[in-house]
Amino acid sequence: MTTGAMRDEWYPVGLRSKVDAGGQQTMLMGEQIRLRETPGGAVAVETADGRALPVVVGHGHVWTSLGQPTRPLFAIPEADQPGRRLVEVGVVRVRCSPLRAVENFLDIAHFPFVHTDILGAEPHTEVERYEVEIREKEDEVWATKVRFYQPQAAKSASGGITTDYMYRVPAPTCSVLYKTCPARPGEWDVITLFVQPLTEELCDVWPWMALYDDVTPMTDLIHFQQMIFLQDRSILENQIPRRLPLDPGMEIPTRADLTSVAYRRWLKRHNYTYGAQLVAQ
Amino acid sequence: MPVALSSDIPPATVIPLQTPSGPMALWRSASGRLSMSADRCPHRGMRLSHGFVRGEALSCIYHGWSYSQDGHCLRIPAHPDLEPPAAIRVATATVCETGGVVWLALAQTESQPPRFSHHTPLRSLAFAAAPTAILVALNGRASADGSMQGELAGLSVILLCAPQPDGTSMVHVLAPSDATLEERLAISSATEALRRTAETALATEAAA
Ligand code: FES
Ligand SMILES: [Fe+2]
Repeated sequence: MTTGAMRDEWYPVGLRSKVDAGGQQTMLMGEQIRLRETPGGAVAVETADGRALPVVVGHGHVWTSLGQPTRPLFAIPEADQPGRRLVEVGVVRVRCSPLRAVENFLDIAHFPFVHTDILGAEPHTEVERYEVEIREKEDEVWATKVRFYQPQAAKSASGGITTDYMYRVPAPTCSVLYKTCPARPGEWDVITLFVQPLTEELCDVWPWMALYDDVTPMTDLIHFQQMIFLQDRSILENQIPRRLPLDPGMEIPTRADLTSVAYRRWLKRHNYTYGAQLVAQ
Repeated sequence: MPVALSSDIPPATVIPLQTPSGPMALWRSASGRLSMSADRCPHRGMRLSHGFVRGEALSCIYHGWSYSQDGHCLRIPAHPDLEPPAAIRVATATVCETGGVVWLALAQTESQPPRFSHHTPLRSLAFAAAPTAILVALNGRASADGSMQGELAGLSVILLCAPQPDGTSMVHVLAPSDATLEERLAISSATEALRRTAETALATEAAA
């Protein structure tokens, strides 16, 4: 399978804090790669046959590409604001298309059923109208004015609140979520999903967060997010077809799925098809 | 073809099944009615066998869309005020139950599934062998209705074999209705021995 236009994008391949001189092995789009820290303190990534790959460190992770990225790694300016705690959640391996993993992250309608009593609960299942656009200048998908009732929106939230969200897709396998910050009204918590495509049907998901929360122990923050992703995994490994259909084909989107529809359209426009189902099945 | 035993599927539950028409979800409503639908939600492809039964409807675990026994979408929780368009439906298949066995109608058929007046279901087991190998191992007779008759532990048994897409078989064992508990246990372990024989025969054949 060809990697298509996605070959020239940046992908997370590990936590920067975990890379040392001893190095570590992983995979990117079907190719074995090796990460290690150089004596100078930088990170080097190379393929099995010794080809050096481009490297950038950002948002807690090491990023690389099998091709030649034409733009820098996307920025998350909010994450740089002082006073935030950066949470390295680690990795969750999921037997699904990397694109399916992102699409699930963009979805709120599943909260009451998959994250029951945490991110959602019946009878609060309604998804109100929200706005979705493809921002041409930034070349990103954005969903704004997303609102949803949540019994326990974050580790620092006690009791139910209606939470505001914004979703952003700055790269084909990455999404940034901005969410009402219970501890500091007026600010947004930043929760990201960085997906490493191992193959078209297997991925490593690296959630990362930049939160205003000085109270909750780090391990609790990590466990909370890991629990959420394990719940998502039970869904992602049981969808048919495994790859993300870029045309609706046999699937039926509704108004609540507008972010997913825009994401698929944006992927298609750019020929971002690694992990996509091109022929309706 | 036989797909399950009635006892495998109590009220308000759903189970996955492999059938010649692909993966299916078999579910029983709270009031006891049995239905079968494709194991794929028309919304975004989630397996419906991971879903849940509430009342007389099957709901998908992903976004909670619910479906009636005839496959029509009844409710989309994200849009509670919306009447789901009639076009939204999941494919269904015809199932019926006789004598504790659940049968799937493979084609439009008028014929009724076989009835076994002197036997009742005992248990189901997966065999890594095709029905033909099982028949040989049983040293039994095949009937026109697809069932096999033979003897296990010295008692008359009926085996219903449902071939699976991967070459294995789901075997439903029927014991004499008047068998004692001890006799039923004996048939049960004899079935496991039969499985070993059928699976070994297959391996020997492959090695030859
Ligand atoms: S995939 Fe079944 S309700 Fe969404
Ligand atoms: Fe989720």
